Amino acid sequence: MVHVRRRPRAAVALAAGAVLLTGCSSAHEPEVERVAGTFDDTSADPQQRCDLLAPATLIAFEQDESAPCADAVQDLPVQGGAVESVEVWGGNAQVRLAGDTVFLTETRAGWRITSAACTPRSGGPYDCEVDGP
Amino acid sequence: MSVEEKEYGFLRANALTLAFGGLFLVSLVGQAISGAANFNAQQVVNGLEPVSLLEYVTSSSFGVDVMENWQSEYLQFFLYIFATVWLVQRGSSESKEPGSEGMESDREQKVGRHADDDSPTWARTGGWRTAVFSRSLGMLMGALFLLTWVASSIAGWAAFNSEQLAQRQDPVGWFSYLGEADFWNRSFQNWQSEMLAVGSMAIFSVYLRQRGSPESKLVGAGHHDTGQTG
Repeated sequence: MVHVRRRPRAAVALAAGAVLLTGCSSAHEPEVERVAGTFDDTSADPQQRCDLLAPATLIAFEQDESAPCADAVQDLPVQGGAVESVEVWGGNAQVRLAGDTVFLTETRAGWRITSAACTPRSGGPYDCEVDGP
Repeated sequence: MSVEEKEYGFLRANALTLAFGGLFLVSLVGQAISGAANFNAQQVVNGLEPVSLLEYVTSSSFGVDVMENWQSEYLQFFLYIFATVWLVQRGSSESKEPGSEGMESDREQKVGRHADDDSPTWARTGGWRTAVFSRSLGMLMGALFLLTWVASSIAGWAAFNSEQLAQRQDPVGWFSYLGEADFWNRSFQNWQSEMLAVGSMAIFSVYLRQRGSPESKLVGAGHHDTGQTG
């Protein structure tokens, strides 16, 4: 008689519940990586990079720089590089690249940058060159 | 006067459960709507996009708000069920008579050979079945508390990390979240209200009455009479 091992139903239910409770975040990682990588790619089209900013961040960035985004974004001190880690929680995400840390949010138009060119600060939020309100 | 079960009908015989089940659903819908409005107000402050009601009720933010309340309710009942075995409150409708603390005799509990024709099978059989059945109510409440507390910790962890990222801060691991003030604040703020409710009921029922309610002593029962419900 062949013994078929079945996963305990309780364990499967708990795992499914954990996935639901945490919001099925891993499915978003490829898109999050693509958006962060494109924005930090200094060889990419400036307007394409600006289109990846969240609306509130775009407005704040242009106000801070007193210039259109397509002009100001070319002077950003971002180095990009290989993706080192991705964190997606609910409608927010963080991508650590070799030369930058980027924060994103999910919008109707897809994932968009809320903060970029970020450096960590001890005990507080990241200090970001590109930031929202 | 008692009413025969067969004359009562399903709705009337289960009115208490159905009424509170309905109130639960109405309250849950109200929490979803008001919670979504509150969440979206905070989204706007953070420069983020508002979410739909469906997106909100499938989010960790809604999940933790529901689970943190459920776990405290089941903890309340778990502690209440076990505490009333061993602790008494003289004069309370929520208490046994002073002097009857503990598990009581098999005869008093209608267990084993003392069971009658209406007794559940596992009350009569003895052995592990009777031992389990004798503790089944507390065991269920305890299990539901642990499950919902774990669920609350997972949903709370996800909601906490989403908020961390919205505020440009690093997310944390689950074990780290168990040490965060957010987790214990959510737990203790719910626990204190549940313990207050049980304690209040225990002492208020000594001196106050609600005619017709099984949660109250008889209107004419003395303040020192314990456990005589209406």
